[in-house]
Amino acid sequence: MEDDVAFGPENIGVPRAEIGERITFALDAVGMSEYRHSTPTRLSGGQKQRIAIAGALALKPRLLILDESTAMLDPLGRKEVMDVVLRLNKEEKMTVLLITHFPEEAMLADRAVVMHEGKIVLEGEPKSVLSDEARLREYSLVLPFSYRICRELARGGLPVEDRMDADALADEILAKIQKNKGAGIDTGHIVARSFPIKADEEGGRVLAENVTHVYNPASPFETYALRGASLEIACGDFFGIIGYTGSGKSTFVQHLNALIKLPTAEKKYRPKKGKKTQSAEETHLTVAGFDLTDKRADFRALRKNVGMVFQYPEYQLFAETVFEDVAFGLKNFSEQPLTDSQVKEAVRSAIEMVGLSYEEIKDCSPFELSGGQKRRVAIAGVIVTKPQILVLDEPAAGLDPLGKTEIMELLHKLHREWCKTVVIVSHDMDEIAENCTKAAAFSEGKVVAFGTPKELFGSQTAVQQMGLDMPFSAKLTYALERRGVLISSDLSTPDLVRAVLEYAKTAGAGMQLTGGDDNV
Amino acid sequence: MSDVSFGQYYPANSFAHRMDPRTKLVFLVVYIVGIFLATTFWALGVCALALLTCVLFSRVPFGKILKSIKGILFLLIFTALLNIFFYSPKEGETALWAWQFIEIYRGGLVSAGFLIIRLFLLVMGSSLLTLTTTPVSLTDGIESLLTPLKWIKIPVHDIALIMSIALRFIPILTDETSRIMNAQKARGADFETGGLIKRVRAIVPILIPLLISAFRRADELGDAMDARCYAGSKTRTKYKKLRFTWRDLLGALFMLAFLGGVIALKIALAPIL
Repeated sequence: MEDDVAFGPENIGVPRAEIGERITFALDAVGMSEYRHSTPTRLSGGQKQRIAIAGALALKPRLLILDESTAMLDPLGRKEVMDVVLRLNKEEKMTVLLITHFPEEAMLADRAVVMHEGKIVLEGEPKSVLSDEARLREYSLVLPFSYRICRELARGGLPVEDRMDADALADEILAKIQKNKGAGIDTGHIVARSFPIKADEEGGRVLAENVTHVYNPASPFETYALRGASLEIACGDFFGIIGYTGSGKSTFVQHLNALIKLPTAEKKYRPKKGKKTQSAEETHLTVAGFDLTDKRADFRALRKNVGMVFQYPEYQLFAETVFEDVAFGLKNFSEQPLTDSQVKEAVRSAIEMVGLSYEEIKDCSPFELSGGQKRRVAIAGVIVTKPQILVLDEPAAGLDPLGKTEIMELLHKLHREWCKTVVIVSHDMDEIAENCTKAAAFSEGKVVAFGTPKELFGSQTAVQQMGLDMPFSAKLTYALERRGVLISSDLSTPDLVRAVLEYAKTAGAGMQLTGGDDNV
Repeated sequence: MSDVSFGQYYPANSFAHRMDPRTKLVFLVVYIVGIFLATTFWALGVCALALLTCVLFSRVPFGKILKSIKGILFLLIFTALLNIFFYSPKEGETALWAWQFIEIYRGGLVSAGFLIIRLFLLVMGSSLLTLTTTPVSLTDGIESLLTPLKWIKIPVHDIALIMSIALRFIPILTDETSRIMNAQKARGADFETGGLIKRVRAIVPILIPLLISAFRRADELGDAMDARCYAGSKTRTKYKKLRFTWRDLLGALFMLAFLGGVIALKIALAPIL
């Protein structure tokens, strides 16, 4: 790593002895001294980003600019990097200019500005800049997640301030209940989440038992990506998969449409006669009704039925026009040549489904579209074959906050009208709690927790042990629990707000009855 | 995740790893010259012995080095077959085996065998260099060895930098390729069946996104280098200075012994070809 950090000082002609000192200083500052002599391939995303920061620090700058430096990292890596940046700012007194999509990161700043179409449109303390919901929306931004919960509570008659800290919010909630005694509480504005009820069909189901995968088997680079993962996804689920980088979730997801085949499904596989392994350790994998342990399975038909949207799907666009790109999968999968009008009809409905105008966009080059539009086109290119199960790896990564919300809305629409089952891989716990009916957590190649978001985040220790974050709704629930208040919700915003408000009403009413006590 | 063994550094802390890259580079050149000077199996034996010694001093597992052969296996077989079938026999030599116009001679087999061993030693030797030397120090070594060329206005530093960037991007781009391939496979693309034209056409959906991403990365790299004040070689200093040690002296002696051995054998024995 030291070569990399040395690059800057070398360029500005720093004498050799001093370069050594600067490397020591820079690696120390980002907490990476022990990696001075290791190679970059073994580092995690967060560590690489810290080395990049060290590379900039070695130039001894007085101003450090970070342009979406954490966009591609998982929450753990993001925290790592932000801790380093904050420390540099507080202890080394370095000016930091942070460009970010995450309102939560912007909140850490002393001053924030919002830019829109080349102009600075909002300016001031982050707390005030990020609190004007209507104007933020105008600039494709949204409130920080916890603010949204605060606002919902306020709308229901519990006037709490915008807060990011769950404990502080819990304190304020209890104080407000003391004061208002349940007066003015109204849950009328809450729109509960609803998921379509679907017939349980084979085509929307995933059943995995004991799936194991080894990269580079029998070599010094042998790595176990999956160690006997078992998971059941029911038809009609809006399913979330969480886990830090390297937990095996991406490898698992690639099994779902046989991009990675089980050893028994490889062409060269020959079953060993008479030598059956113990039934307890046998691998099963059935997806959309296809048995993927069988090498005679129709993998083409499987891929048609299980749509897969990769991370940053816009990077796989290639055709001259949007129409051609969306039609690519359709033409590949059709058994007999489709007529022009059939293709046109399917492409049109896929493009319109993802919320774009067919007439406006069909002849455009995919490369001249905006980021959000590209992603929609890429999704259209996958759903055009009407898959029964749709799998998306980090569907909202790298989009601006409003784009994220819109993509999640699109996925719910697809779940209602287009596909039976939707599976998303996500790093964002709030996204999982907010959107999924069920979720599973991967760690070290296994499924370590499974259930509804409530069940999954119900045990504080299990999720924290994996180094994963908690959704804010769970944090607030626990903060209230520590203060002796038990509320029960499915951890989505509407239900959480309902539960808190209902508690406020009953507890407040109870205080009125026994009133006078707290006047002492 | 991808498996590209040629030119990948094998981290270890051996004698060979700690030698100066310049010594290793010169040794490789001498070794290659030695292989071409070798015209008898005895001389090739000396080359093989030299290679074996180097492998032992590098602590790289033999299988890892052998893997580098995989990439040129087709070339090896192809040239061997050419040698066997297009051998022009010496006067009086009789075919070992003949069928229609195909005739196989002892001389053809010998020359094919000789060629295979030569290529084999050549590739193993070069990959041993890249296995024991990081790309960065390799380019440093090349830059330093080519310094005399600066006198005739050849931009040695820039060439070395281009090389090191190219080396660094190989694993990144292979990863990217497999990612894009997976994405297109998921959309029903088929790279494994069909005739030549169909297969070539199937590459388009991979090639275009790959090119775009390569350009994007190049752009980003350019910005990143700018941000760290890169402005060519003029005012640059170097943190790591290459230094010869006793290891290099030993290496040089070994190299001389090797060269001497090969030349002595060349004088002493008649070429077999």
